Amino acid sequence: MVSSSKKELFNDINEMSFMLDDITLYLNTHPTCQNALNEYQKFKELRQEAIYKYTEKYGPICRYDVSVDNYWSWVNMPWPWEKECEK
Amino acid sequence: MWVYEKRLQCPVNIKETNAKLAQAIISQFGGPDGELAASMRYLSQRYAMPYKEAVATLNDIGTEELGHLEIVGAIIYQLTKDLSLEEIKASGFDKYYVDHTLGIWPQAAGGIPYNACEYQSKGDPITDLYEDLAAEQKARSTYDNLLRLCKDYPDVYEPLKFLRAREIVHFQRFAECLRLVQDKLDEKNIYAFNSAFDTNAPCVNNCK
Repeated sequence: MVSSSKKELFNDINEMSFMLDDITLYLNTHPTCQNALNEYQKFKELRQEAIYKYTEKYGPICRYDVSVDNYWSWVNMPWPWEKECEK
Repeated sequence: MWVYEKRLQCPVNIKETNAKLAQAIISQFGGPDGELAASMRYLSQRYAMPYKEAVATLNDIGTEELGHLEIVGAIIYQLTKDLSLEEIKASGFDKYYVDHTLGIWPQAAGGIPYNACEYQSKGDPITDLYEDLAAEQKARSTYDNLLRLCKDYPDVYEPLKFLRAREIVHFQRFAECLRLVQDKLDEKNIYAFNSAFDTNAPCVNNCK
């Protein structure tokens, strides 16, 4: 299910994260809803997989996941408010 | 503690600058019903909220609003990036430019600075939740007004449409919180006391 090109993987992360943003708000006021709990579990795993694959291939989106070589690459990454069309 | 991710909740990719639109949209950055006020309102209110579902809701919607602040900032940034002096003068952006150049600063469309008096943290669950419901509707109305101004600019329209939809979802979640809180109170006395402070009120004890 998880794609492999940079753009597709990044898009997967955004889509699955948004699913979780919405489901978790719902769960806050419906903490016993089994359907929502199952959906949460499903998207949590998909999101983790997409983030893991993206980070390994294209670099971290979170500063706790930086691979240290001889340079702090976190400062290099394009920031999200920069136009994607220019990447 | 917050963990930052280098991504927007909704992508922003604006191809043409437009300083006129930026001057209107900046109200959702630092204006009376903007995302900064929204985030600070919920993150401030959560401490005194005695009901767990409502605390989690305030915490997580307050967090999402920070992400929305970032989206609105990205829209303004991209709409004003590398503006020429001619464009600045022609669009009326000169009044903003003189104080901030092309930096992003929280203000309302009319130039009024961001102000914490635009929201309340009253320490009373019913009072605060009604404030939150009103806030979501006011923000939704503001996005409606902005969307009418951006009809011909799909790059700008799409992220604003996304943000508008989130106001409606948040309203729904806060309405559920209000119901959950009311269900825990004496039905004859929901509005007569502060359940976060008047803990000895008979109506509170009756419902425990």
